[in-house]
Amino acid sequence: MRLVVYLLPRVLAALVTLFGVSVLVFLSLRLLPGGYADILLGPFVTAEARAIIAQRYGLDQPLVLQYLRWVWAMLGGDFGISMVTQRPVIDELLRRAPVTLQLALIALGVALAVGYPLGVLSGTRAAKTRKGRDFGRVIGAMGASVPDFVLGSVLIFVFSVWSLWFRVGGYVPFSTDPVGNLRTMLLPGFTLSVFGVALILRTTRDAVLRVMTEGHITAAVARGDPPRVIIRRHILRNAAIPVVTVVATYFGFLLGGAVIVEVLFSVPGVGLYIFNGLLNRDYAIVQAGVLLAAVVFISINMLADVLYALIDPRVGATR
Amino acid sequence: MPKKPRTSLSVLAVMAGLGLALPAQAQGVITWGKPAEITGFDVHVAGTVASWEMYQMVYETLLITDDELSLQAGLAESWEEESPTRFIFTLREGAAFSNGRAVDAQDVIGSIERIQNPEIASYWAHQLGEIVSMEALDDRRIVIELARPHATFLPALAHITAAIIPVQEYRDGSFDPAREMLGSGPFMVEQHNQDESWTLTRNPHYGRDGYPRADRMEVAIIPDESARIAALRDGRIDFTTFENPDAPQMLGTAGNIANHPIQTTNYYRFDVNALSEDSAFHDRRVRQAMNLALDRDAINMLVFNGTSAVDYPVPAAFGTDACHDLDTYALPRDERLERARALLEEAGQPSPQVELMASSANQVLGRIAQVAQQSLAEAGFQVTIASVPTAEYLQRVFTDGDFDFSASWLAGYTDPSMVIQWWNPNFAVWNLAFQEEIPELSDALADVRSTPASPERDQALRDICAMIDEGANLLALVSKVDYVAYRSDQIEVRLADRTGSANTWQHIAEFAPAD
Repeated sequence: MRLVVYLLPRVLAALVTLFGVSVLVFLSLRLLPGGYADILLGPFVTAEARAIIAQRYGLDQPLVLQYLRWVWAMLGGDFGISMVTQRPVIDELLRRAPVTLQLALIALGVALAVGYPLGVLSGTRAAKTRKGRDFGRVIGAMGASVPDFVLGSVLIFVFSVWSLWFRVGGYVPFSTDPVGNLRTMLLPGFTLSVFGVALILRTTRDAVLRVMTEGHITAAVARGDPPRVIIRRHILRNAAIPVVTVVATYFGFLLGGAVIVEVLFSVPGVGLYIFNGLLNRDYAIVQAGVLLAAVVFISINMLADVLYALIDPRVGATR
Repeated sequence: MPKKPRTSLSVLAVMAGLGLALPAQAQGVITWGKPAEITGFDVHVAGTVASWEMYQMVYETLLITDDELSLQAGLAESWEEESPTRFIFTLREGAAFSNGRAVDAQDVIGSIERIQNPEIASYWAHQLGEIVSMEALDDRRIVIELARPHATFLPALAHITAAIIPVQEYRDGSFDPAREMLGSGPFMVEQHNQDESWTLTRNPHYGRDGYPRADRMEVAIIPDESARIAALRDGRIDFTTFENPDAPQMLGTAGNIANHPIQTTNYYRFDVNALSEDSAFHDRRVRQAMNLALDRDAINMLVFNGTSAVDYPVPAAFGTDACHDLDTYALPRDERLERARALLEEAGQPSPQVELMASSANQVLGRIAQVAQQSLAEAGFQVTIASVPTAEYLQRVFTDGDFDFSASWLAGYTDPSMVIQWWNPNFAVWNLAFQEEIPELSDALADVRSTPASPERDQALRDICAMIDEGANLLALVSKVDYVAYRSDQIEVRLADRTGSANTWQHIAEFAPAD
């Protein structure tokens, strides 16, 4: 019951957010210059051709009607068809979702495997030496300030000239060729993870530093507990809440926002599909893709909320 | 502790070695690294090269062109020009769609009727001229009658947009050209993963014995140039194309990769907005100054490393000398700059500020814009460059007329009188948003369309060139070269040295895995 009371306002807020996202994506797409008729006909588009194509896809209807039809169809499980292929958008999104999920998991795995230990190390050392403090800052700043597209472009250039086992593009499913799959997915996964490494490192470091100033840590030190025990029993658990928050947000971002990396490395995931849909003004793809990404993002954040309540019973009690 | 990682690394290395040792192609399979996905399935509608290239794998046209851009038999094994307005086509015996049904006269009539149907929104209807009647003499012979002579009628039938589709299946609803492809060409579509890959298999009913030589063609959509280079290097793809001349040069050191530049009738161009009163180019003198000040040689040398050539409204690839003696091309650069400055002074705009728009989808256009920016600055122009998404570029230029000038390229097709129709807004109605109509030019262009190839037509083209240059509304820059690269150790290819627009893979049926 406590959990239900805790989650109910969050569910309502999520529904309002989804409504806002749906309106925003729907309107912003239609405000963009150019339409599918331009893409299909190239320079040969005329007013008549534009009108015929608009009529074919119901784009000549008032915007409110178009929006209501879209939402109504979506509630019935119909996410629309791609204007390019005339095929249901949801089929293609579902086919691509595992690719994006794999990419996100690789990035998250690398970010956690590198960022978390470094964050703990940096936090515990920072309390002792200035070098330890600077180390965390430098790594964190570097990771956070190198944009995906810059790092990705450099990697593509380097590895397209010298393969060094890795492969640029040419995705193959893991089930078909596991080695080939990893050869194509590790580079984009690494590129995507760099920001996560910095994020998790800095969050963990700050959380560790904060926890280390609390009274129960001083008490443990006074008791003569060994540092390893203090870190494992007292610091890691208490520092976990902000890290869980950041990891959840980051994972949601990876699932919905791996667009640039997918485009750069030609990874056929949801991000690339949405990106091409946007370029082609293939509205149904972008609308469905963005809305589903928002659903995933919100769901993961709600899951993180549940985790807070489980990790720290005080969280649920106060809200 | 250090031992464990070492073992893992060595296992990884062995696996990697195995991965590297795997050949990219199985028997009978060829792999094409395609730079872009199609924009629609309908062969009669889509107006993009990325789509045309794929249609050519699946569909056929009545006529085709050879390396000399002369018309040759396609689905029609012969054609007879009874008069300048009456043509009889005889279909190739044994021609069949990939579903096994023979191509017949009704398919031809139905396909052309579909192109002409305004509801379909095909832009190709204009190129076919005014057809007054089509009649099937028997299953294999069709007579087509035009209202008036139309020199581009036959060349227009050789463009893939005039493909013959299975009309019987279209009418009974078992084939929807807007969502699938079914033709009589060398391949048929087995699988399509949007923006990712295609699998094409041999059409068992293809009309040429022993062709296509490949059993299957895998198509990988790889928009990124570096990724295509990498794929070609490690053998994942057998052949691809580049627009950027640097790419084949980067591949040049690899002994098993061959480069084959194909001269086309296409050329890069600037569209100049003559109609917007907000633009400095509303004044014809400013447009003329810009045309004179452009350094086309610099574009060729700096953007294309000298692999292209200065081009003209009537493309140089057709072998005519029309437009070559215009001041824009013939005068030394210093003199052209002097005249450009004088024109700007006369127009009262010694330093006009203009925006040059280029689609961000093609990096070559951005480079052309940069070179143009520098060369125009010498005459006093202050050019800013805007790189915008393709859809925005198309809307602003062809619908809104909201631009100063823009960089793009123009399809030259297969006859000199086709491409220059772009200077006639009565024909090229999509240019109405920015093109100034010059009645005498439009009349001359309409006349040349009904004039067969002859010395008279060559003279008419020269006269037209002068009028085009005077208006300075659409400017030809340099030829567009298709840079084809392929793995010579993996594939046998046949490539033309010269093609009309988007005919790069016209001999695809002859591609085969190397022995």
